[in-house]
Amino acid sequence: MRGRGGPPMGRGMMRPNFRPGPPFRAFIPHIPFDLVQCESTFPRAKSAPEEKPFTEALLKRNVDLTPSAPEQASVLALVSKIQTILDNLVVTPGAFEAAQIEEVRQVGSFKKGTMMTGHNVADIVVLLKTLPTKEAVAALGSKVQEELKLLEPIEGKVLTMLTNDSGFEMSSAEASVKCLITTIPPNLKKLDPELHLDGKIMQSHLAAIRHSRWFEENAQHSSIKVLIRLLKDLRNRFEGLQPLTPWIIELLSHFAVVNHPSRQPLAINGAFRRSLQLLSAGLFLPGSVGIADPCEQGTVRVHVVMTLEQQDQVCFTAQTLLRVLSHGGFKQILGLEGNASIATEMSVWEGVVVTPSDKAYEKIEKKEDEEEMEEDADES
Amino acid sequence: MAHFVYPVPANAQPGTAYSAQPAYVAATPAQAAYGTATPRPGQAYESYPAAHATTQYAYTTRTQVAVTPAVSYDQPKAYYQPAPAATAYTAAEAHYQTAKPVFTTGAAGFTAQRPASQPKPPAVQVTTASQSYAYSAASTPAVNTYTSAYNNPTTTQSSISGTSYDAAVYSAASSYYQQQQAAKAIGTWAAKKPGTQPFKAKPKGPPKTPQLHYCDVCKISCAGPQTYREHLEGQKHKKKEAAMKGAATPVVRGGHNQLRCELCDVTCTGADAYAAHIRGAKHQKVVKLHTKLGKPIPSTDPVLVTTTGNSTVSVPKATSSTISAVGAGNKTVAKSTTSSVNIVKKVVATPKITFVGGTTLRTTGAKTEEVKAAPEPAAAAKPAEPMQTSSDDLKDDEHLNILGEKDVAPVGHEYIEEVRNEQGKTVSFNCKLCECKFNDPNAKEMHLKGRRHRLQYKKKVDPNLQVEVKPSIRARKVQEDKLRRQSQKEDFWRRREQEDRWRDEMRMEEEMYWEQHRRYDMEYMHRGPMGMMGPRGPFGAGPGPMIRKPESSDDRHVNAKHAAIYPTEVELQAVQTIVSACERALKQTSDVLADSDGPKPEEKKEIKKEEATTDAKQTEKVKEEPANTNRVLKGVMRVGVLAKGLLLHGDLNVNLVVLCSEKPTRTLLERMADSLPKQLATVTEDKYEVKRCVEEAAIIVTAEKEPNPSCTITLTSPVMREANTTEGETVSVKDPPDVLDRQKCLAALAALRHAKWFQARATGLPSCVIVIRILRDLCQRVPTWSHLSQWSMELLVEKCVSSGGPNMSPGDALRRIFECISSGIILPGGPGLYDPCEKDPTNALASLTNQMREDLTASAQHALRLVAFRQIHKVLAMDPLPPPRFPRQRFNNPRKRRHTGSGEGTEEGAEKKEKKEGEEATTEAAATTK
Repeated sequence: MRGRGGPPMGRGMMRPNFRPGPPFRAFIPHIPFDLVQCESTFPRAKSAPEEKPFTEALLKRNVDLTPSAPEQASVLALVSKIQTILDNLVVTPGAFEAAQIEEVRQVGSFKKGTMMTGHNVADIVVLLKTLPTKEAVAALGSKVQEELKLLEPIEGKVLTMLTNDSGFEMSSAEASVKCLITTIPPNLKKLDPELHLDGKIMQSHLAAIRHSRWFEENAQHSSIKVLIRLLKDLRNRFEGLQPLTPWIIELLSHFAVVNHPSRQPLAINGAFRRSLQLLSAGLFLPGSVGIADPCEQGTVRVHVVMTLEQQDQVCFTAQTLLRVLSHGGFKQILGLEGNASIATEMSVWEGVVVTPSDKAYEKIEKKEDEEEMEEDADES
Repeated sequence: MAHFVYPVPANAQPGTAYSAQPAYVAATPAQAAYGTATPRPGQAYESYPAAHATTQYAYTTRTQVAVTPAVSYDQPKAYYQPAPAATAYTAAEAHYQTAKPVFTTGAAGFTAQRPASQPKPPAVQVTTASQSYAYSAASTPAVNTYTSAYNNPTTTQSSISGTSYDAAVYSAASSYYQQQQAAKAIGTWAAKKPGTQPFKAKPKGPPKTPQLHYCDVCKISCAGPQTYREHLEGQKHKKKEAAMKGAATPVVRGGHNQLRCELCDVTCTGADAYAAHIRGAKHQKVVKLHTKLGKPIPSTDPVLVTTTGNSTVSVPKATSSTISAVGAGNKTVAKSTTSSVNIVKKVVATPKITFVGGTTLRTTGAKTEEVKAAPEPAAAAKPAEPMQTSSDDLKDDEHLNILGEKDVAPVGHEYIEEVRNEQGKTVSFNCKLCECKFNDPNAKEMHLKGRRHRLQYKKKVDPNLQVEVKPSIRARKVQEDKLRRQSQKEDFWRRREQEDRWRDEMRMEEEMYWEQHRRYDMEYMHRGPMGMMGPRGPFGAGPGPMIRKPESSDDRHVNAKHAAIYPTEVELQAVQTIVSACERALKQTSDVLADSDGPKPEEKKEIKKEEATTDAKQTEKVKEEPANTNRVLKGVMRVGVLAKGLLLHGDLNVNLVVLCSEKPTRTLLERMADSLPKQLATVTEDKYEVKRCVEEAAIIVTAEKEPNPSCTITLTSPVMREANTTEGETVSVKDPPDVLDRQKCLAALAALRHAKWFQARATGLPSCVIVIRILRDLCQRVPTWSHLSQWSMELLVEKCVSSGGPNMSPGDALRRIFECISSGIILPGGPGLYDPCEKDPTNALASLTNQMREDLTASAQHALRLVAFRQIHKVLAMDPLPPPRFPRQRFNNPRKRRHTGSGEGTEEGAEKKEKKEGEEATTEAAATTK
């Protein structure tokens, strides 16, 4: 694809066939419609519908999704043990030869308090001072496993250690901890794909640290956490929402709960409906301003990690769900009744036929005369 | 100038830096005032505490205002704390006594900065007093800086101490001067005055006491003339001399602040080292020598040497950029002469001043401070001598602290082993923690406070011990960077805010502009022949006087579609003709009817009044006629698409509403229908067919000429609505038996109101009319959308566009409509559409069934995604427009020329170029955001 960018982002230099184009003008994103933002323009012309059953269902679902105390305890136990072991390695660098650890941080849903039941996995990012060779990662994994066994020789719990692309995972019977390996930023340039872990993955781990810090500072309201859990559950059940990453869900939840004129957190029913409304209104469609990633330099719209096709998919799934929701199908949406087919098959609600939305995106085939069109399709 | 001195505060909070200067300005008048008012030589002591009282007051109030008292008091605390040091220095007491004359020069140095107060003999006194005043004024910047540096603890502290310290300098200098006067009681004021000068002149002056062979440059004495000459020849001396001439500030090791003993010209890296130097034999020797020579002895208080080279502003540990506010005045001096010398004098009485502040703030301050502060009030109350000593005591621990090194309590005494010799005398110390030895108790003290020792202590004994992190150069750079970025950000937001305000204002202007425009248009429409299309033509709803976003591909499609659905000239003409014919014919009909009914003037008047209250425009036609005939038909109004200017291609049916004075009856309708053809024949030569349609409460006039436009004339009366709102029964009794259908009449009235609302709200809104036309077309084309009534669609569009921010482009506006519907605004759970033209809260969408709502929403949702994925042409049912080309390429590239030629041949070059730019920009931008 041809870079046609102007001065910003420094893409101007990359034009292979420079065309005497017009002067660069900033991309002005479209700000999608948001009912909550312009409530004053749309005063209620009829009484608000009864929301109590819906709210209760949401809360019930949240309880179902929150891991039980023993589950949490078992994860916590494993996490704190591993954290201790790794911390010891940080303090005494000489004790472990294969790698030097700069820092150990907990990230992910466990740290954020948005863990879901049945997914007892906590994440720890290990920031290495040395280059993350695959051998070093494996060695670190076995070291941790060894130490863990030393810590609990009596119980003799079955602990397995598996290395993977991102690091290694320690699992016991009821919990597992993913140790995500990354390295200090100066090292990222020196990575050799033959020897070391993938740079992209490691950058994502660095981002995970930033994300959990952002979350800690900005998203501690419990409505946000509940909404995150509900939306994650929605994503797990409806295939069309799969492209939403946890980070997008977190930002969307934060946006939906907090971002409105009065700054008072919305109630969970309003926030849940609003998330679907926002998605339906194309918050994450091309051209939309979306949500700017607070943890990246510059303005990166968080939804651009999804392909165009995925953006379309997320949008139309949300649109179908929103219509089902407004016809009273909240139990199906929350998974308390029925199945996920409501998003893909025609359904009837109180005499109203809801036809699922279909994709609008189509790959524009390459024509010789219309490179622009092709670019348009490829971009964003 | 101020911003040069304190770049950092200036960056962090631009406002505060400037306030430093006003503080000075404020000080000068005060001093001047003092000069004229109170030259009281003998009252130095009385004036002195008084001056401090004010200072203290100022300080207290300021700090209470400040956001973070806790932070600020940390610093002072550290400042006054070091008790051990104080005791250690009492030995040097005598020295301080001798050092006193220095402050005379200090005063002089200060006055030099303010020429106004300098010269006259009494001015000496005046100056001193004014300086204490200056302090109270100067405390303002101190506070400022630390509120501003809130984010940044290290610099905060430093700048605080810097300023308060600096500020203190002035009063210090003055007080010492006074003390000196009193204690020594030497000479007259006049005699004193020259004494203020020599220090400045000293560097260049020749040795004054030949028998001593004193070298002024190197500050040494030589045993005899021979050695003296040799010394003068010597390399060391030459070097020093050269350095002095070059006005070079002492060479400073990069990045560190150092303390300098002016007397011996020695720089020390830390407060402890400096203290050691002061106690040292060499320094004592020089002091002795100087006293013997009667030379001025600079204060023992260290001069802070910073890396900036412009010397001595007392900035502890901060980077050069955090130089405190009050230094502004000093700096000029520092530049003009070699004069670290001048600024040397600032030091002494810091404890006093800040202490006063400290005591008053005891409630908020730290405990240690309290303890320290206690002696002060007493001291202040006592006469000169005791006070002096107390201040000297305090000074000891104080003055060494100008580097702002946190005066830390020594830790780990218990780990020091004393090594004794056979006599049991302590010969050396051994630190078990750090495994090192010292022979000197001073060195031991220093070690106990030292960083290395503390680190060891922290590691081995108490992990909770706070060891200050030494800011590396890198860290400092990062810090500065951060500050700079922050200030840039602030700048950006400020600018942004301004822009927004500006834009708002512009928008207001724009609205006013349109308001006028509209008024003009309305008149034009009602009177003139060409008012057909309402306020503006097809592209009229566009730009306005503002600079707009570049035209996007969506905009181009919308505009192209709009051009396609806009009525042709022939159609417009035809509609225009029939409407004006009907209007004239109706007027004549009205005349005829009025004539036949006979005059009833009173009734007429009444009606007129009523009219005025109900509908402002209605009377237009009637009012034009001065005839006082009674009329049944009061006026004719255009409504619907005709009034709103929403005619589309193929729209040939327009609506007029005739307002009657009474409830329109079937009889009236028939009379009109009978009379109308005759009247039509008189006003025009065209043939018209007139049909009566009683169930519609209307007469339909159709032109026989192509393209057969038709005009529906509906009869109604404001009375119908009145009847509706008041008790229907009583009124209906009076109703004539053949009254026309009430619903139809009410609908016609509503149409009138809608037309009015539209002209008030929608016409002026950029893009609104275009989008409504586009949607009208959509509603006509797509069955799903046909359920959406014209009126609710207009309402919806107006709400969406008006809530979407100023100057939406047509493409954006259309997308926003789809977004709005997609987010479920018309779904059963949604808020509905509040109808502003009804008295009771009414949902304009009430007529839609749930299934219709569902289908509409689904359709809009799909349309939205089509728009987002660049298939807006599918929504608009048109062929995709080829991307516009940059015109130059047409000449370079025959292939592209052919392409564009076929694609949009009808468009003009200039327009195309513009469009092209829009397209480029959006695609480009989208690419960059990838």
